Amino acid sequence: MTRIACLVVPGADAQTQRLLLEMALAHSPSVEDGGPGIVYLDLRGLEALFGDEKEIARRFLDTIAERGLSGRIGVAGSRAGSRFAARSGDGITIIPSGSDAHRLGPAPLALLELDPRMAARFDRWGIRTLGELADLPSRGLAGRLGDEGPWLQRLARGEDPTPLRLWTPPPVFEESAQCPWGVETLDPLVDLAAGLVEILCARLSRHGFSADAFEWSCRLADRTAHEGACAPPAPLSDPDAAAALIRSSLEAHPPRAAVEEITLRVRPVRVAVAQPRFDEPSHPSPRQLTAALARLGALVDARGVGSPVILDTHRPDAHQMTPFTLSSSPLDPSPYPQVPSPLDPSPLRGEGRVRGSEVRGSEVRGFEVRGSVLAMRRMRPPRPVEVALAAGIPAHLRAAGLAGRIVAGAGPWRISGDWWTDASFARDEWDVELADGTLCRLARDGCGWRLEAIFD
Amino acid sequence: MATSIESLPPPGWDGEGLDGLLAAFLPGRLSEIVGSRSSGGGSLLLALLSRATARGGLVALVDATDSLDPVTAARAGLDLRALLWVRCGGRPASAWSAADLLARCTGFSAIALDLGAAGGTAPPSLGTRLQRAAEGSGAAVIVRTPRHLLGGAAALVVSLRRMRTRWVGADQSTPLATHLATRLGGVVSEARVLRSRADPRLATPERVWLIEWRA
Repeated sequence: MTRIACLVVPGADAQTQRLLLEMALAHSPSVEDGGPGIVYLDLRGLEALFGDEKEIARRFLDTIAERGLSGRIGVAGSRAGSRFAARSGDGITIIPSGSDAHRLGPAPLALLELDPRMAARFDRWGIRTLGELADLPSRGLAGRLGDEGPWLQRLARGEDPTPLRLWTPPPVFEESAQCPWGVETLDPLVDLAAGLVEILCARLSRHGFSADAFEWSCRLADRTAHEGACAPPAPLSDPDAAAALIRSSLEAHPPRAAVEEITLRVRPVRVAVAQPRFDEPSHPSPRQLTAALARLGALVDARGVGSPVILDTHRPDAHQMTPFTLSSSPLDPSPYPQVPSPLDPSPLRGEGRVRGSEVRGSEVRGFEVRGSVLAMRRMRPPRPVEVALAAGIPAHLRAAGLAGRIVAGAGPWRISGDWWTDASFARDEWDVELADGTLCRLARDGCGWRLEAIFD
Repeated sequence: MATSIESLPPPGWDGEGLDGLLAAFLPGRLSEIVGSRSSGGGSLLLALLSRATARGGLVALVDATDSLDPVTAARAGLDLRALLWVRCGGRPASAWSAADLLARCTGFSAIALDLGAAGGTAPPSLGTRLQRAAEGSGAAVIVRTPRHLLGGAAALVVSLRRMRTRWVGADQSTPLATHLATRLGGVVSEARVLRSRADPRLATPERVWLIEWRA
């Protein structure tokens, strides 16, 4: 015979709920997460272990009281009956087997948590308690309310035949390896980590998970700790690719001292397998891309591999690198701010019209040219230059690898910004054309002239 | 009514414009964009990458001189989330190796190697390696260099030179007019196909593309 206990803890948040479930699991192997503050336990077979139902309920309440929590427990022959008993009673309420309908009869109908429309309907009928609903003729109830009527009536009698949906704690994917002699070089440490990765990836595959982050912590011989983390461009469960990624990260940031113990954790995610569309280009496999990125990180500085993100400021060349991932669809609308072109029509510039110029807008000699955007090669960092002026206008330029007479130019274009921060900027920009045809952008501020970029 | 010579299209004018030129860069082939500083070669490379991301593809840019301007790239229509930017910090040897590595990674629509203004020299036989890797991965591999480096390995060689410069806000009536301009408006480049294995007709001397790049 089924005996279900329901624990109700008002005001429980997600963390408390997780705690309640873990404590319930210490009392019964069959536990259901009933939502915030509600936990069901199957009490069958527990008498020999903990005593009778009242003793089990008391032990459970004592356990949660040790964590500073308080609640009520109801025990009945069904999940609904135990919930109604817990909510209507105080402390521990036990309904003997076979008397659910009789004991729940005087309980208020509000325990069913009906929607307002249904509650108002029963109120018009004068139905106030579970017992009054249970006593209504089933056939007439079905005729007026459809399938929902008999179903609510069965709940009012404490009849809920659906089995518990068992809760199991999410698996922890963590493995450790000890090496008391101390690993002083990188290769054996990487081999050690690769062994842990292989174990973890096998466990991930068994559970149908992939990993979207790898974290490790090392206990060092100098009594300090070394921690690191890396994330693949897409969730993966391939041990070789993951090991290559960890090797690259460890090479970039090696431990300061010999490693006596390493603990590796992975963050599991379930990856939905989607059928690619015929009309969309193929993307690299996570395994291959991870391996390629790991090798790229070793080849060039790992911080120089990724995707750029434009920062929300008018400061020139304001961007930062973010890890390259496959998760975001290139077809999504771009989140980056649209950068206005200096040629966008502006009343301040006479709508971009050029007086007396042979080349107007997108026309060359009267014919339409399909245009695009002129690329700019940034100098990082900007290169100091010597600029000779004639009548206040740049006339000659000399810099490392670049020198010549300035044959044409435009400026100054004065820009400033971020004056409300400590990193304000103000500068004059000149676009100049050298005699050899090179088009440059120069900038002048309090530190002198600098070559900012070359147009290409 | 007499028609001005200035209103006639130049010899070899290609009405397809930039799109026709971009279509010559085929997947699975090694291509080369050749042109001196400020010739428009970098802009053509950006246009190629932008077209690939607009079609939902992922692209990789191996930047030998660490000179990509993300703001300009975004303005050109390049989806930065679909761009893998490999900054080589002025080490051409690393850039060649990175391009070789990425060209073997299937799934990218385009892989670009931008060697910057200096260009340098290509490691021996790397052109052939890149061509074979492109055939294997199916990606369009494009090398932007100031001068022709890849020898016969490149299936397509496009050369650019700047025709004219446009200034915004300039009064051209005086000799120093350009100095009164407000800003660089753009340039017009002339592109010619020096070699095209897929379509040799593109490489005829009369075939010219005039492209305006807006600053």
